[in-house]
Amino acid sequence: MSFGSPYTTLPDFEYHRASRVDEVIGLLEQFGEEAEVMAGGVGLMAFMKERLLSPGHLIDIKDVKELRQIDYTRGKSLSIGAAVTVEEVAANQDVKTKFQALHEAAAKTADPMIRARATLVGNLCEAIPWVDSPPVLMVLDARVEIAGSRGRRSIPVNGFIKGPVDIDLGPDEFVTKIEVPDQTLRSTFEKFTGGSEFALASVAVSVSSGGGKRNAKVIFGSVNSTPVRCLEAEQVLQESELSQSTIRKAAEVASEKVECVSDVLANADYRKHLIRVITTKALGRLVQS
Amino acid sequence: MRECAVKVNGVIRRDMIKDNELLLDFLRDKLEVRSVKAACWRGECGLCTVELNGRLVKSCLVLAVEANGGDVKTVEGLAENGELAPIQKAFVEHGASQCGFCTPAWVLASHELLKRNPDPSDADIEEATAGLLCRCGTYAQIKEAIHSVSRSGSKQPLKQLVEGVG
Repeated sequence: MSFGSPYTTLPDFEYHRASRVDEVIGLLEQFGEEAEVMAGGVGLMAFMKERLLSPGHLIDIKDVKELRQIDYTRGKSLSIGAAVTVEEVAANQDVKTKFQALHEAAAKTADPMIRARATLVGNLCEAIPWVDSPPVLMVLDARVEIAGSRGRRSIPVNGFIKGPVDIDLGPDEFVTKIEVPDQTLRSTFEKFTGGSEFALASVAVSVSSGGGKRNAKVIFGSVNSTPVRCLEAEQVLQESELSQSTIRKAAEVASEKVECVSDVLANADYRKHLIRVITTKALGRLVQS
Repeated sequence: MRECAVKVNGVIRRDMIKDNELLLDFLRDKLEVRSVKAACWRGECGLCTVELNGRLVKSCLVLAVEANGGDVKTVEGLAENGELAPIQKAFVEHGASQCGFCTPAWVLASHELLKRNPDPSDADIEEATAGLLCRCGTYAQIKEAIHSVSRSGSKQPLKQLVEGVG
C-alpha cells in the first residue's frame, strides 16, 4: 500500500444514491463484487485514487434515513448507523457521558472537515492498521450489524476485522450499524500521532465499575497489522487496586508483551516506548474519572 | 454523465458532470473557480476547501454529483459590492499570507469560524483550522488577522505571538 502516490483521479464508475436499506441490498445483489458502498467516501476515495479499489458502481447511503440514526437506549445499547459521521458521534451527549473512549477517539479523529464527512462505520470498515475506531469498539464489546440479500447478521468487532484491510463482509452485504452494549464501564482512549495523520500507537482501555471482580480490557491499535489485545496488562489491572504502581506495572507489561511492527511511520522499539507512555496516560485518566 | 445544477457563489451553474468527477476538478477546471487549489488530492492539505451547503468540505474528497442541487461558496463569494469582506482585509493588513497559495482556503475557513464563533481563542482557531496547511508558516499572522476582526477585536500581545511561533 503506497499512500502518497500522485494519483489524482477516480476510476470510472456509476453513482447510485439510495434512499432505503432494501434499495442498497437490491443494488448489491445486482452488482455484487462490482459495487462499493459509500457514506462519507473519505477512505474509499483514497483507495480508489490509488487504484486499490476500482468499483464499477458506487452506492451512496447518505440519504438512507435509517442509517443516519444514533440512538442510546438505557440498559440496552448505543446504536450508530452506517451514515452517522464521526462529528455526530463526538457531539453526542450519551456517547460523551457513557462511552468515553468512543467520544475521545471520535473527537480526535483527523480534523473537523474530515470528521464532518467521515463516518464511524467507514472508519471501522477501512480496517487499515492505523484507524482509531477498532480498539475502542473492541474494549466496549461492540457488535457489527450486517444486512445482505441472505438476511441480517451480527458479529463482534474483533471477528469482523480479519486482517489488515480485510473484513468479514460478503460482496452482497453491507454494514448497517454498530451496536455498543450499555454496560457499567469506564473507558478511555489515547493515541500518539507525532504530527502524522495516522497514529503511531493508540490504546483503548475499559474497566468494569460494577461490584465484585473487576474486569479490564486493554487493546492497542496502530502498533501491528490488526489491533492487539494485551491479556497480561489486563491481568495486572484485575488483580490489584488501580494505584500509581499498578498503572506503572501495567504499562511496563504492555510495553514488553505487545508485539509491534516496524514500518514507515515508526520502528518497533519506538512503538514499545509509546505504548508505555500512552498506557500510563490513559490509565491515569481512568483512575481520576 | 448527468446534467447537474450547482449554485456557486450565488449563481446557478448547469453542466454535464461525470460520476467520477471530483468537486475540486469540477469547480477549478470546468467552472474556472481558480481560488480552489489542487495540491494533495487526498484530504490532507485542505487547500481545496469550499463551503458546501453551509459546511466546509475538502473538495478533493467530494464527488461533484454530490453537490448537485447544492450551494457552493468559495472565497470569490465573500466580497460584497466589490468590497473585500472584513476577514479578507484583515489578512492583507496582517500579512497573513506569504506565497498566497493556501490563502483562499484559510480566508474561507476563518470566515466560517467567525460566523460560528465571533470571538475565538487561539485554541479555537487551531482546532477549527486543523485540516489546513500553510507551508510558508503564516499561522501566527493568520491568528492575528482573525483576532483583529473578532468581536472583542483584541490583538494578541507580541509576547504570545512570538511564543506561538517558537
